[in-house]
Amino acid sequence: MIRAEGVTKVFGPNPESVKPLLEQGKSKDEIQAETGHVVGVNNASFEVGAGEVFCIMGLSGSGKSTLIRCINRLIEPTFGKIILDDPEHGELDIATMDGPTLRRVRSQHLSMVFQHFALFPHKTVLSNVVYGLEVQGRDKAEREELGKKYLEMVGLGGWENHYPDELSGGMQQRVGLARAVATEANILLMDEPFSALDPLIKVQMQDELMRIQQELGRTILFITHDLDEAMRIGDHIAIMDAGKIVQVGNPEEILVNPKTEYVAKFVEHADPTGVITAETVALPFTDRYFNQIREEGGNQVWTRTGYTDVEFHVDTNGHLAAMRCEGNDVALHELEEKVTETGGAPERHTDAAVHCTTDTILKRVLRGRAYSELPVVVQDTEGRLKGVIDEPELIHGILEKQGYAQDD
Amino acid sequence: MNDLIPMLGGSLGNPFELIDMPIDDWVTWFVDWLVDTFRDFFRTWVSPPVKTVMEGVQWLLTSTPPLAVLAGLFVLAWRAASWKVGVFAVVAFAFIGFMGVWDELMTTLSLVITSVLFCLVIGVPIGILCSRRDMTYTLVRPILDIMQTTPPFVYLVPAVMLFSIGNVPGLIATIIFAMPPTIRLTNLGIRQVPGQYTEAATAFGSTPRQILWKVQVPLAMPTIMAGLNQTIMLALSMVVIAAIIGAGGLGLLVFQGLNRLDIGQAFVGGLGIVLLAMVLDRITQGLGEKAPGSRASSDD
Ligand SMILES: Nc1ncnc2c1ncn2[C@@H]1O[C@H](COP(=O)(O)OP(=O)(O)O)[C@@H](O)[C@H]1O
Ligand SMILES: [Mg+2]
Repeated sequence: MIRAEGVTKVFGPNPESVKPLLEQGKSKDEIQAETGHVVGVNNASFEVGAGEVFCIMGLSGSGKSTLIRCINRLIEPTFGKIILDDPEHGELDIATMDGPTLRRVRSQHLSMVFQHFALFPHKTVLSNVVYGLEVQGRDKAEREELGKKYLEMVGLGGWENHYPDELSGGMQQRVGLARAVATEANILLMDEPFSALDPLIKVQMQDELMRIQQELGRTILFITHDLDEAMRIGDHIAIMDAGKIVQVGNPEEILVNPKTEYVAKFVEHADPTGVITAETVALPFTDRYFNQIREEGGNQVWTRTGYTDVEFHVDTNGHLAAMRCEGNDVALHELEEKVTETGGAPERHTDAAVHCTTDTILKRVLRGRAYSELPVVVQDTEGRLKGVIDEPELIHGILEKQGYAQDD
Repeated sequence: MNDLIPMLGGSLGNPFELIDMPIDDWVTWFVDWLVDTFRDFFRTWVSPPVKTVMEGVQWLLTSTPPLAVLAGLFVLAWRAASWKVGVFAVVAFAFIGFMGVWDELMTTLSLVITSVLFCLVIGVPIGILCSRRDMTYTLVRPILDIMQTTPPFVYLVPAVMLFSIGNVPGLIATIIFAMPPTIRLTNLGIRQVPGQYTEAATAFGSTPRQILWKVQVPLAMPTIMAGLNQTIMLALSMVVIAAIIGAGGLGLLVFQGLNRLDIGQAFVGGLGIVLLAMVLDRITQGLGEKAPGSRASSDD
């Protein structure tokens, strides 16, 4: 959908002159000390697929705003290409297109949400929302109809004739969001849209964005300095440090396998329970950690090394046929059936256990573990036993963000 | 060598005797040239529009019955500012009417309206041009400084030579003297629009023209209105001076009163001017506060 190739932005009197230094791999600080030029973005490349939420994360000053502004050329990139896949015109390079084409692309394909909302203070909520449509030259009736539709969508139906200064911050950003989606541009650029909001409102707005995204399926480039936010809403995350993209991956890859110390520092403070999946933390069902103790009725009976009181009866297809605890049969339930959104009071069953799929997030597994004293059984989509999660795996998963077994 | 000493001795203490710059002659020559060359141009192209607008406004104001003028004034002041300003304006105008100088008030009001109209029509576009490029403003600024600091008496004489006696030279002098705040504050207002709004407009694909008219000018409106307010006040301050070269109205009362040592008449004229100034000031201040662009300040 949109692809950045070697996008670089150098601030200063003669930006092109630092090219050799960049090619030598000198850092932002070195180049600033030597030439006085500030490298805002250094050779950033990434690709965002259609319908994807792509987060760019980094500390303040790492070049996030500069990078996103290079995408729609609010800032002119010094080097690099920004390839837009336009359904009508094929691939276009935004970095080199002429003024009228750029304005067409901005108005039809890219829209933006700003950190400090940037709503036009002299326009009503509705005229703010339809601003992009006005620029597109749509007629008044169509504008108002679309404007009202999108205001409704962000939950602000009825606020059409108010002015932005009569709204709270969260509501103002809803207007900002409506203004951006109303142009029906397929790419949304969001520069720390929720950073200026209170934590509670921020979470509400994240949910709101994800709901709207489910409905509209736009391609979103989302900037944040908050890893938890990136993990919550991003399909992929790019981490920026001093102008460079140092790692790109899905949330779990970043969390489980940080490539640099900078990324590791971020990850250290992130909440892993919403990101890490059962597959990552589960103790794999292999003979390294499990022993086959006998056969019974055509099923192999296994126990976990060191925990002989729980038996796993596995049939020839690799499915868990039965589970026994101290000789008694254990009822197996699907995790999602026993776990509510809030978890409820722990029931601590010893005669029942839950099973989940490999992509279940740790948070759900923890809730499942509160239902029963017994390990959570992890199965693949075909129902084959892949592993189990017991207390050591949970503790390790939360603290070390990886499986207990991978350590040794 | 010996010859030099007495020569130097004579001018050592006073170097101004050495060189004589005949600036006065040059200016006389320049003005003569200007008048000779451009009199026809000014009289055919500049006079008529100013004169026509002035006569139109004056006809409108004097042919309308005073009660209707008062009613119109009330509605205008009420819409632009508040009903209190409306009441104040009506009381002030009625007071001037009861002093027996209603016609003079209407003439002065026509002079002010006409000159301010021209200040806006010429000044706002120039202000906008100045805000687009630093270079333009660098060029225009010294001209504005000259327009504002030159005492109006100085260009009364060339104005009369170009346009002869009457309302027109007074109006032209007033327009020149009162225009700078409109230009300055239009330029300033547009430049002061926070970058985040123009950035947002750009991001949605606006053309520079759309950014100007949909975002910058509306947000600059409170500042432009402040410029209008200053322009009106400067135009009023020219009313007496314009009377010297044949403009009528309240200014003429003051000028004649002073000439004939008729303090009473001069006072009536002066009081009328002050009241008119207060009314126009309140109305234009209200306009600035009510402009939608004034919401910008409470936003950040
Ligand atoms: N207009 C500019 N002129 C010079 N340096 C700039 C300019 N804009 C940004 N920078 C520098 O570029 C770097 C990246 O800034 P920015 O993109 O705003 O970071 P972030 O959005 O990640 O906080 C910073 O070092 C900043 O000082
Ligand atoms: Mg930023």
